[in-house]
Formats: sequence, C-alpha cells, structure tokens
Amino acid sequence: MSVGLIRFAVDEVRGIVELGVRTAHATVRRRPPPGVVLRQAFEIGNRSVFFILVTLGFLGAILNFQTGFQAKRIFGDTSLMGAATLPILVRQLGPTLVGLMVAIRVGTGIAAEIGSMVVTEQVDALRMSNAGPIDYLVKPRVLAGTLMVPVLWVLGTASAWVAGMWITHAAFQTNPETYINFDLVRAADVFEGFVKVVVFGYVIPVIAAHSGLKARGGSEGVGRATTQSVVNASLAVIMLDLVIGGVAFALRFGGGG
Amino acid sequence: MIEFIDIHKAFGAQRVLDGVSITVSTGRIVFIIGKSGAGKSVLVKHLVGLIRQDSGRIRFEGEDITDFTEAQFFALRKRCAMVFQHSTLFDSMTLLENVALPIRKHLGLKQPEALAAAREKLALVNMDTMADRWPAEVGDGLRKRVAIARALTLSPEYVVFDEPTTGLDPVNAVRVDRLIREMSDRTGVTSIVVSHDLRSIFGIADRIVMLYQGRVRLDGTRGEFLASEDPVVRQFVRGEVEGPMEL
Repeated sequence: MSVGLIRFAVDEVRGIVELGVRTAHATVRRRPPPGVVLRQAFEIGNRSVFFILVTLGFLGAILNFQTGFQAKRIFGDTSLMGAATLPILVRQLGPTLVGLMVAIRVGTGIAAEIGSMVVTEQVDALRMSNAGPIDYLVKPRVLAGTLMVPVLWVLGTASAWVAGMWITHAAFQTNPETYINFDLVRAADVFEGFVKVVVFGYVIPVIAAHSGLKARGGSEGVGRATTQSVVNASLAVIMLDLVIGGVAFALRFGGGG
Repeated sequence: MIEFIDIHKAFGAQRVLDGVSITVSTGRIVFIIGKSGAGKSVLVKHLVGLIRQDSGRIRFEGEDITDFTEAQFFALRKRCAMVFQHSTLFDSMTLLENVALPIRKHLGLKQPEALAAAREKLALVNMDTMADRWPAEVGDGLRKRVAIARALTLSPEYVVFDEPTTGLDPVNAVRVDRLIREMSDRTGVTSIVVSHDLRSIFGIADRIVMLYQGRVRLDGTRGEFLASEDPVVRQFVRGEVEGPMEL
C-alpha cells in the first residue's frame, strides 16, 4: 500500500469523523424542522422498501437454499432451518445487507445530490444565505437515516426469512410450521442488530454527504464523489459490523465463547 | 474600501493567484477581468470566505478579515452579497422562497414576514408578478434577475457578481448590465464584477483590473485599458487568437 493511499485513507476517516461529530453537535444544538426530516425519511425509507424487500428476499432464499443443501447432505434434516437462520439474519446478515443496500441506493443519491449542489455553487449560495450545509443538507439526511434504516432492517429481515421459508418448503419439503421457530433468538441478538442498524443509519448519510461536499470540477467530480461514497460506506458497514459484533460477543460471552 | 494584499492561492500543483493586490473603493463598479481560468472567481470568493487564501491579507472597511471564522463571515455576508455565475437558485423553492431564504436566516424573521419582504425585493427587479413560479419555469435572464434580488435582500454595501452575463442572450445581458448600473447609481452599492464580456466591461465599468498568470496585469479606467500598449491587454481587448497570451 503506497504512502499516498494511506494518507488519503487517513484524511477520509478524519474528515468523516469530523463531519459526524459536527452533525451530532449541530443536531443537539438545534433540531431541524420535522417536515424536512420527514421528507428525507420518505426518500431514504419509503423509496427503499421495494429494493430492500426484493434484494433481502432473494439473499434470504439463497442463504436458506445453500444452508439447507449442506444440512440435508450432512445431517439429512432441515427441520431446524428456520430456527437456525433467524438469529443470524437478525443480528448479522440483516443489518449488514440492509446497510450495504442503503449505502448503494441512498448513499449514492445523497453524494450525487450534494455533489451537484457543490459544483453548481448552490452550497456556496447556501453559505451566503447563512444556511450552513451541515444544518441545511447533512443534518436532516442523517436524522432520517438513523430513523429509517432500523425500519428497513425489520422489513428486510422479515423478507429474507419469509423467502427462506418458501425456498425451504419448495426445495426440501420442510413444513412452514416447522420452519417458524423463534427458540434460538435471544434479546441480545435483537439488541445487537438494532445497535448496528442505528449506527449504519447515522454513518452512511454522513459518509455520503462527506463525499458530496468534497466534489470538485463538474459532472466528473460528482461521479467521483458518488463512487467514493459507495466504496467508503460499504467499507464502513463491513468494518463497523465486525467491531460491533466483536464487542457484543465479548460482552455476552466474556471473550471465552 | 476592500483591500486584497498579496493574495496567493494554489489548488494542488496549480498556482492560481500569485501575489494579487487590489484596492476597491466604495460606490464604484469595478470589473475583474481576464481569460477563463485566470483566477477571477477564486479571488472574489476569498472576500466572502468561500475560499481561504494560502497567504496574504484581506481588509474589509479597514478590518482584517483574513482569519475570520465561518461564523464571523456569516455576519460579513450581510454586508457583502454575491450573485453566482449560474444564478444558483434552489430548485425545491419558488422564486419568492429563494429570495426569502437569506432574509429568514440572516435576520431571523418568520416565514410570512420574510416572504413579504422578499416580494418587495422582487419588485425592484420587476419580478414580483412571477414570484410563485419555480426556477425551472423561467429563463436564464429571469433567474439571474431573481439571483440579483436575492443578493439585495439585506441591502448590502458591496455586491460581487460572478460572470453575470455569461450564458445570456445579448438582450438579457444588456438588461442585467443596466440593472447593475442602476443599482449602483440608486443605492450607492459597490459592485465587483467578474467578467470576460467585453460589451459589459466597456458598457458599465468604472474601473478595470485585469488578471493574467495569477497577477494583476492592468489596473485602470476604461480609457487606460483601451489605450494600453501591453500586447496581452491588446490581444484580450481585440479578441485575437494570435498573440502572446497563453492558452
């Protein structure tokens, strides 16, 4: 890894953390108008529902099909498929996949929108009007993300689980009544998943806004900002997933399993 | 009075301003001219804190604003407004709401009061009958007039115009020029106009500053500009392709 790339990565992380902290500070100091946040919540949440339901549904089906295939081969039994996959979906795959999908669908939109505003000097015009970009552009999107990504997690996880039920029944003839089994899900699993999606809901819009605000030089710059947003947000989701998962594991099992 | 003192600015390896010093007196229309990429817009954006210089000082009415924070610049932007090259009206707001935004934000007025004040400002540029239209519904010339109205909302002492006639047809360009002249004559506001539009320059400029290769190449009146023997200035005035001016 070259020195330039390391320096770039350090600058990116520092810039994102700084924007995240400033956004939190600005939010505590003065909340944005509810109407503005609701409009963003609609954009981030409602408009993502179909995409999340479809992608998580297919991924849930694939997960159950492949896992069921192995279970059938090794144990000759798929009766515990529903019980076994639900905790994984709730605390691990659901948050991660929803986070990645939101980074793709929502993050790129935020980066492109803010990036376009930067290169066409609209952000400068906002600053001239005493409307800072953090207050006016970043804060409503971050609040809306923090609010709506947990909702998408619930819907996406449900979609994946139900699709899993269908594929398990179709491929392995497992009775849906057998598949619907909540015995292995603990409150700690739900809490871990919830913490992850709240963090992702905050971090993804911050990263996207950071990329957008750094856009320079016309449509090419907006394109670069959008790409950078997807890369940064995807990496952040995966890395934060590992960190939060590791902390949760350590807290639950004391690191000893 | 505004003083730019030995301003240096580079973007990466590209040096844009290389020791620019200009003094702008009050009540005049001063044109900052030069070929595209000469650093004209970059220079004026320093004045309102949209860009920070690498070195040099800027004084505004005798006060050194070089190290102002963003919060301090918010206060200064009430006194020194800016009209951007692309008008930069917000698509999600009507023309009236666009003009009301700085009134609401800078003066802390409620929306109904800000809208009433904005309507008066739109009347100044003969746009009050189109107040409730969206930016996408009007042409470039009308958008530019609204942008000028927005800049005038707080009755600034200085207005910076960044290429106000670029992209406009000749008729609308002349209308915008007249608006700048009338505004200056009527309110005594000081206008700093970034442009390479020769018709505007010779039409309304009181003083002309030409930037070339990051430095001031000429600073004088229209007459001095026209009489200049400097080959770079002459090539610019005549719009000639061949000459010493680098591409």
